[in-house]
Amino acid sequence: MMLGYNVENIRENFPVLSKPIIYFDSACMSLKPKQVIAAILRYYEEFPACAGRSAHTFAKQVELEIAKARNEVKKLIHAQKDKEIIFTRNTTEGINLICNTLQLQKGDSVILTDKEHNSNLIPWLKKGIQVKIVPSNKDNTFNLEEFQNLFDKSVKLVSMVHVSNLDGVENPIKEISKIAHEHNAKVLVDGAQSVPSQEINVKKLGMDFLAFSGHKMLGPTGTGVLYGKEEELEKLDQFMVGCETVRDSTYTTYTKEFLPHRFEAGLQDYAGIMGLQEAARFLRRIGLKKIQKHEIMLNKVMTETLTHPSIELIGPVDPTLRSGIFSFNIKGMSPHEVSKILDTAKGIMTRSGAHCVHSWFNKHNLEGSCRASLYLYNTPQEVNIFCEEVQKLIHLT
Amino acid sequence: MALCLLALPIFALLGIFSLKYRKLTKDSLECLFKTVTLRKCESGLDERIKARITGSLFKHSTKTAKFVYHYYKPLTWIFIILIIWSVYEGSVGIYNYSAYGNCNGPESTGFCALDPTGKNSKTSDLNMVVPEEIILPQLQEDDPLIGPQNTQLTIIEFGCYACPYTKRAEPIVRQVLEYYEGKVNIQFKTFIIPHHKDAFNAALAANCANAQNQYEVYHNALFAIQEGLNNASYEILASKLGLDSEAFSICMENQTYTSEINEDSLQGVDAGVIGTPTFFVNKRKIVGPKPFKTFKKIINQELKK
Repeated sequence: MMLGYNVENIRENFPVLSKPIIYFDSACMSLKPKQVIAAILRYYEEFPACAGRSAHTFAKQVELEIAKARNEVKKLIHAQKDKEIIFTRNTTEGINLICNTLQLQKGDSVILTDKEHNSNLIPWLKKGIQVKIVPSNKDNTFNLEEFQNLFDKSVKLVSMVHVSNLDGVENPIKEISKIAHEHNAKVLVDGAQSVPSQEINVKKLGMDFLAFSGHKMLGPTGTGVLYGKEEELEKLDQFMVGCETVRDSTYTTYTKEFLPHRFEAGLQDYAGIMGLQEAARFLRRIGLKKIQKHEIMLNKVMTETLTHPSIELIGPVDPTLRSGIFSFNIKGMSPHEVSKILDTAKGIMTRSGAHCVHSWFNKHNLEGSCRASLYLYNTPQEVNIFCEEVQKLIHLT
Repeated sequence: MALCLLALPIFALLGIFSLKYRKLTKDSLECLFKTVTLRKCESGLDERIKARITGSLFKHSTKTAKFVYHYYKPLTWIFIILIIWSVYEGSVGIYNYSAYGNCNGPESTGFCALDPTGKNSKTSDLNMVVPEEIILPQLQEDDPLIGPQNTQLTIIEFGCYACPYTKRAEPIVRQVLEYYEGKVNIQFKTFIIPHHKDAFNAALAANCANAQNQYEVYHNALFAIQEGLNNASYEILASKLGLDSEAFSICMENQTYTSEINEDSLQGVDAGVIGTPTFFVNKRKIVGPKPFKTFKKIINQELKK
């Protein structure tokens, strides 16, 4: 056990863990600690009002809480200014915002990896932007050389996943940003999997934009964040407009609101944002470096125990390169069967299918995989039970 | 495909009550249609069901889970065949119940789930073996008739005055006679159930009353006092009904009609009667106090012949 990391104490904060389940699907949706649930309830019970509109007591309190939440998220990713934090509904919305507001011309292109989530592929395809795909190495790690070879004058943006939800492989964002900037391209990072599980310093990593979701980092569903460097956000066109996004309007003109509100159209999910604030606080209190170490420790146990000719692992064999993700197939069984049997037999919840990375599975002619994703509340005992059950499944075929 | 085929009727039925099952019905229909048209079942329903069953078995026995996982296709087909067979048998049962008041048909006294108390089918049984060759009962001039004398159809009833089920059939018999007034009458043949201690004497008394042309009224009266039948009650009843008490007493003492009663019972045995009441509408047999509609259906068919 890691010094200062007591998983049993952590688990006590999660009411749902009193059920006889083993939850290994945090890459899709994390569980919620009671602090987050309480924050949501607190808004509705104590000051359920609008922010930035009315001047009464409740409204001012909501405004203050939202400002505090923005500040908390800023601290989580080590951003410079509160106004660089834009609240969205999720990572997908953040990416779509950039896709629709960045000044991209016909003939411009964007570089993606071959393991992008549909949320970082479809927006570009729909927009008609040319996409250049970086093929991964054989072990599914990032191929920096191939990446560099893709640059030409048309490349205006590099939009990449930080930690892949497919196999947990982390892309070297710092190097990627450096190379992209050398070619005058901007960098947008999909941090849906990385922000919940590792220390993120946007300044050190050098990206221009970072999109991530609240629901994967202990926060409520329907909450997300788009970080952008102030100077880059200023250059963007507006995405959705209406109330909150303008300071003034006539029948023919309008004046844009200041950052970050110009990108937050309409009434916001205040309760959700307050829950997100608590989630960020919870993660920071435990320490993201410790969380990352814990995940990798569990993944090591899982990988070592489940090394078997019938288990086809997706991604590199080395578990330290796969964060908290163990994505696999059992020869002779479909991933859905594996997942469903684990759930029915032992209450082990995993995800099966293409994990919204259909393009990669289609390229490799695979139906999908069964994915066990580990998080701060999972225990070695749970990993052992999972391994025992998977080993039994091997003998089923 | 087999699992989808199996799941479809089950989910469709449950879907009447639950939205969840309506979605599953749609999935199974899609799965079935795609498989039949040689395409991939996209809903993956068959796979989900198979995995769920395997997972449930996994909790208890890995061996059983393995067996089911490997042989789920033949097992599914066995279930499908069983379901089709059950549906067929069930339909026949429902038809029989609606037509004859018993799932197993008019001739049965067997258990019927739709009539669990056996109200329509119970008989006082002899526990005897049915003869291989059935000889249908014949109308006999010396046996009394209930209802008009000359009718298009005569139903032969094998009954016992001490049998509660024969008594239960009485109102139905009356209803038949009223409904088919002038067209149908009944010939009642006594079929003695040995464990009914008053059965023989009551039959004897009815025959003695018949000798005084008072059969029908005495027959009805016997059923009316069935629970209180004893050796004294026959003469009291004869007296109350205005019969010649002396002649009746002599008839009873001499057991004048013993051979006739035994002959009736033997006819019943030859005809495969194993309990009372049993009715013969020509060659058609109705066992137990079946509802009026059962009689009506069969009588109508026989009258048309």
